[in-house]
Amino acid sequence: MEIPYNVQVREDTGVYNSKLGIWLFLASEVMLFGGLFSAYILLRTGAPVWPPIGEHGSIMHLLKETIPHATFNTVVLIASSVTMVMAWVSLKMKDLGKFRIYLGTTLICALVFLIVKYFEYSHKIHEGFVPSHDTYMALYFTLTGLHGLHIIGGMIVLGYFFGPGIKMWDNEPERFTNRIEIVGLYWHFVDLVWIFLFPILYLLN
Amino acid sequence: MSDSHHEESFWRKYIFSTDHKTIGIQYGITALLFLFFGFSLMMVMRWQLAFPDQAVPVFGGLIQWLAELNGFASIGNLPSDLYNVFGAMHGTIMIFLGVVPLVVGAFGNYVVPLQIGAPDMAFPKLNMTSYWVYFIGGVIMLVSFFLPGGAANSGWTSYPPLSVIATTGQTFWLLGMVFLITSSLLGSINIIVTIIQLRAPGLTWMRLPFFVWAQFVTSFLLVLAFPPLEAAGFFQLMDRVFDTSFFLPSGLVVGGEALDVSGGGSPLLWQHLFWFLAHPEVYVLILPGMGVIAEVIANNTRKPIWGYKSLVYSVVFLGFMSFIVWAHHMFMTGMGQGMSIFFQTTTMIISVPSVIILSCFMLSLWGGSIRFNTPMLFALGWIPMFGIGGLTGLPLGLSTPDIHLHDTYYVIGHFHYVVAPGTIFAIMAGIYYWFPKMTGKMLDETLGKIHFFFSFIFMNGIFWPMLIQGMAGVSRRLADGGESYAHAQGTLHLNEFMSYSAWLLAVAQIPFIINLIRTLLRKKDAEPDPNPWQATTIEWTDTTSPPMGHGNFEKVPTVHRGPYEYSVPGDSSDFTPQTQN
Amino acid sequence: MSAKDMAHHIANYRKIFVYLLIGTALTVTASYMEFNVQNSIAGAVFVGLTIAAIKGYLVAANFMHLNSEKKIIHWILLLTVFFLGLLLFIPLLWDLNLMSHY
Repeated sequence: MEIPYNVQVREDTGVYNSKLGIWLFLASEVMLFGGLFSAYILLRTGAPVWPPIGEHGSIMHLLKETIPHATFNTVVLIASSVTMVMAWVSLKMKDLGKFRIYLGTTLICALVFLIVKYFEYSHKIHEGFVPSHDTYMALYFTLTGLHGLHIIGGMIVLGYFFGPGIKMWDNEPERFTNRIEIVGLYWHFVDLVWIFLFPILYLLN
Repeated sequence: MSDSHHEESFWRKYIFSTDHKTIGIQYGITALLFLFFGFSLMMVMRWQLAFPDQAVPVFGGLIQWLAELNGFASIGNLPSDLYNVFGAMHGTIMIFLGVVPLVVGAFGNYVVPLQIGAPDMAFPKLNMTSYWVYFIGGVIMLVSFFLPGGAANSGWTSYPPLSVIATTGQTFWLLGMVFLITSSLLGSINIIVTIIQLRAPGLTWMRLPFFVWAQFVTSFLLVLAFPPLEAAGFFQLMDRVFDTSFFLPSGLVVGGEALDVSGGGSPLLWQHLFWFLAHPEVYVLILPGMGVIAEVIANNTRKPIWGYKSLVYSVVFLGFMSFIVWAHHMFMTGMGQGMSIFFQTTTMIISVPSVIILSCFMLSLWGGSIRFNTPMLFALGWIPMFGIGGLTGLPLGLSTPDIHLHDTYYVIGHFHYVVAPGTIFAIMAGIYYWFPKMTGKMLDETLGKIHFFFSFIFMNGIFWPMLIQGMAGVSRRLADGGESYAHAQGTLHLNEFMSYSAWLLAVAQIPFIINLIRTLLRKKDAEPDPNPWQATTIEWTDTTSPPMGHGNFEKVPTVHRGPYEYSVPGDSSDFTPQTQN
Repeated sequence: MSAKDMAHHIANYRKIFVYLLIGTALTVTASYMEFNVQNSIAGAVFVGLTIAAIKGYLVAANFMHLNSEKKIIHWILLLTVFFLGLLLFIPLLWDLNLMSHY
């Protein structure tokens, strides 16, 4: 039993099934991060001072120190978006070798992002700026933490397509290309969220 | 179009199936069990309300054991701490583990692909995953009953600060909700893609059965409205586990001691994010049911449903409006006049499409050759019940009367009219209607009618008096049912009446259970009638009963006409299948 | 897709990458400048979010191919963005409209 329009597009909608599916999923993710940003707006406008001053003072000086790291991370993530779309392009041009290089680079960029994040987190925690310190720290850790979980989730799927999943290319190249396009869309979304998180959390204080 | 049949193992065929029909049945059985469990919780609560602090008969030992396990004293009665647990979990279980999985997971999954002529859902493996994630969420919720302090006890609404300082059960509630929300999201994405992409040739949008439209709008509500609650859930988890203050305001004092948190949070933030979902959620509860009612009414009046276009536009408009009324649950939080006017206006506007839908159903009866079989009886009983539910909502949607009625039993009476007879009668109509398609056997009509009549009577016995108690000012969520309040004394006697009605409602379900068991055990006919209701829609006209596995259709059906072509002038029979030329 | 189309797409991606890098540099630079209007940070927020929105648009339109995507995807996103707007701004407007400020 074949499900129609898994690979071929349906004429009246012009899309194949998983393209529609991933956009609906991304719509739900927009609402998820929307809820998170909405909380940020409400808590920030309700606060007399931002970032709030807690037990260890204000996070401001530490934040200013992290701006270069966060900027670096932003560039890394944008680069990973480029390599991701190039991975798909390589498949469209039937070049499996290039595909692996681009996908591998995407994965490495993601890893670098996470490593920098790890150092950011541990530095702040070491100084006593834990989530419970004040509402800014709570938002910082929750928003970047959930974003980070999305990166990890994406890496798992990308890793699958880099490794065992690549076998689908041999028998169903078009379907495999579609899958990479889909996972690419997810990946770009994760990048997009960061493009907003970066100024909001790090710069606009 | 049948596959080469390789023998599937028991596990692949029945447990980890990717066939939408099997998954639909899995959802159905699990959800019905949860519904029964949630109902049982309420029956114990009603004992406490009718006969405060007396030992529960028969189950007193079990209640005492559970209470003591949770750390509450009990002599077999329901202590107030455990009452709060039962109350919070009754709501949670009925909504998220019972009704929605039933109307969307069971009916949606089973019927939608068949009604649109599709071989399965667009993403069968995702469908299977959705069910098992729901299952895990349910297990987490059930397990929480055995924790010290018991399961969640801050209402199904989990308002902070109370929910943040509540016992461990609340953390399990939040984790369970994460799983349930995920399951819901995956399932609704599946339904939307299926309806858009897998409609059979000739099945244009305006030829879809109203049931499919209802499921389509419902799924959009789930996709877009659930995530903010998921965000809020994460925030509350952070508050509980990592001592953050997303929802805890500064200067909070608990038990005489200032709470050692950073403060700066907002309890209202939770309310906004919660109700942003929870209002559309109530339309998720009712819309699929409306879809079922449409199918059953058209079929049993032997004429097209009145106002198909109005129904479609109304249900789409309703879905859209459901996102902009949420703060009518928050009229008493100190909102300003501008906000109040805005939300009252949108709330009044949203009653219009509901009235249109109800009117279309009622008008459909005019001039029909009505067959009073069990599905139709439930559909007919649904109409006035939903009507009462809707009408009693009006004073709640206006902020001035809401001052008096908010958080009283009036609210409970209102929403139970819409969700108890509102969803349950629609579910029953659907079960009696589609049972022969799923099994090849008809449920017994006599038992069905007994089930209906007594359910109808006792539903009203439980919920009508709530409206009266509420108007007298009796607050909700009181473990003593208002006993210690002077203003409640005049209506206290209604508690016993309502409790007896509740227990008798349970008894009224026995004919239904007997019916199910006897029919399931009965031998199927050699060649069951695939269309015993003589219906026009594809699931009846182009499949066997039950439909064949893996593909549903011998060949892909082609649609040539609308979904409700009953009594077409000049036709030899009183129904013309959608797929007929 | 022909080889020529592909080459065009690749050139486009490179171009967008450069724009995004410039945008990032702008965002960081802008954060060090003073945009305060009437002593509030609103000006800086506006500038920062506008640049972010432009960058986001570039990613969505080009990398996610929204420029050439079908109507149905556009409609779903339009609906989503509308509700997103509600979610972001109603609680804020609420706060501004309170009967009293605790």
